[in-house]
Amino acid sequence: MGVKETKSKLMTLPDAANLIKDGEYLALGGFSITRCVVGFVHELIRQGKRNLVVSEDIGGLDLDLLVGAGCVRKLIASGGSLDSFGPIKRTMDAFLKKKIEWEEYSNLGVEFKYLAGALGLPYIPIKSLLGSDLVKYLPPDACRETTCPFTGEKLLLIRALNPDWGIVHVQRSDPMGNAQIDGPRWDNIELTRASKRVIITAEEIVDRAFIERQPELTAVPDYLVEAVVHLPFGAYPTNCYKYYDCDFPHFQHYVEINQTEEGFKKYLEENVLGVKSFDEYLDKWIDIDKLKKLKTHPILGY
Amino acid sequence: MTETGHAQEFSRGELMTAVAARALRDGERVLAGTGIPQVAATLAKYAYVPNLVILVENGYAGAIPVHPFVGTSDNRALYRSTIFTTFLDMNGMVLHRGKVDTGFLTGMEVDMYGNLNLTVIPSYEAPKVRPSGGGGANDIASLSDRILVIMRHERRKFPAKVSHLTCPGYIDGPDGRKKVGLRGKGPEFVFSNLAVLGFDEESKRMNLISLHPGVTLDEVKANTQFELILPERIPTTEPPSVEEQRLIREVIDTSGYYTGWKEPKIVWWGKE
Repeated sequence: MGVKETKSKLMTLPDAANLIKDGEYLALGGFSITRCVVGFVHELIRQGKRNLVVSEDIGGLDLDLLVGAGCVRKLIASGGSLDSFGPIKRTMDAFLKKKIEWEEYSNLGVEFKYLAGALGLPYIPIKSLLGSDLVKYLPPDACRETTCPFTGEKLLLIRALNPDWGIVHVQRSDPMGNAQIDGPRWDNIELTRASKRVIITAEEIVDRAFIERQPELTAVPDYLVEAVVHLPFGAYPTNCYKYYDCDFPHFQHYVEINQTEEGFKKYLEENVLGVKSFDEYLDKWIDIDKLKKLKTHPILGY
Repeated sequence: MTETGHAQEFSRGELMTAVAARALRDGERVLAGTGIPQVAATLAKYAYVPNLVILVENGYAGAIPVHPFVGTSDNRALYRSTIFTTFLDMNGMVLHRGKVDTGFLTGMEVDMYGNLNLTVIPSYEAPKVRPSGGGGANDIASLSDRILVIMRHERRKFPAKVSHLTCPGYIDGPDGRKKVGLRGKGPEFVFSNLAVLGFDEESKRMNLISLHPGVTLDEVKANTQFELILPERIPTTEPPSVEEQRLIREVIDTSGYYTGWKEPKIVWWGKE
């Protein structure tokens, strides 16, 4: 009795990354040094994607790798960093050298654009950004200042964002794409609803029955998901709440070597282009000592 | 139990953090970003305003961290949170709604009207320096009821007018914010490593409130590109207390990374 849902969307990382075509618009679900879509981005770089438009509300390691590797033509973001480890230098450098176009909003600016896109609305009013220089450098069709037709107060109208693809790394998903996130979920909810299609990379694949026990934990429902990739350590070296900590030495190494473009190229060669798979890269960095440090404490979550 | 009295020796970073922490009021809602703002808010909560509500833009609140953290995205910072939520909830429904009493910011430049630059120097057209970018800073400055600023006091960081206006302070005068349609009262204090500064009631231009111990007026003037409004008598900032320093050194900033009380080295911060 009952319906048997058998549509598994599980696929390999290379197959999932291959769904993305040059020139398409990707929304990345990472944030600074936490739950970044590192594994997916590694594969995009290996596959030589070009001219991508990328949005990440607050840029993290995944964005920096993609921009540094020359895959990105345009960026929609409010900024980004690797928290106190250091800057996302490739991204900032690309801006300084005018290698990428950057449509720069504030955090809520990008978030509201996702929200409008998620609701199927053409624009949404916002009360930040008014009076700032950020508005001056947005493209002419990106926003409009107006007054509220009901109250007369000043409003800024910003256009909706509908990415072609939303990519999010989560802790658990079933094969159909019902994905659970542990910890804060920043813009992941609106991002996945605004996107035309969603790809989930997951630490663990669980049965539908697991999801059925607590459906309120489902952050992304299967009917929005196109592909699911089982990708343990898919956010490494960024942290994944309750699964692994940040790799401090890895970040220190990255920030150090990333000070120059040559250094970054060396990092890219060693970690992305010169390896055949994500596992090969993980193997370089994670031995048993490292694993013991990354492993989270069951109560602390880090 | 707790020792009283002032700390014998302290770094300017510790003083700046302690003074900033003292400005937070019990029961208020503060939104603090990575860096000294986060450390100061945590210090305030642990030292004297236990009902302070610390909101973090990532989407968590109620955290009681026990290990030093690399930033707001370090899972150490969110330990014992009572809610995990989204940007839309935290920044949208609390900040944008107008329920954040204090926004706590830092940046590259602050000018005489409390405007901040976190984006680019010297200009967007011909940029030379580009730090991480505003992130949520513009939202916090635009939408909080009042703003507190942390800034290293150097001449290049205190221009008369910011190179790029990322975060509106008073913009250009007493009704600057109202003219462009912003809610909230604007910046109240600037905590630097040399002084505590505020904003004149009438003109909304930056004024001097107190000098840190050992700092001369000349030193502050030399590091400020515009003229500060001075009080009749300039008091000395109260140094950190023994308890404030203990909390900074033993709990919140054990490596000295934020407050510079010792030469910092990021080693792998523990779980012990």
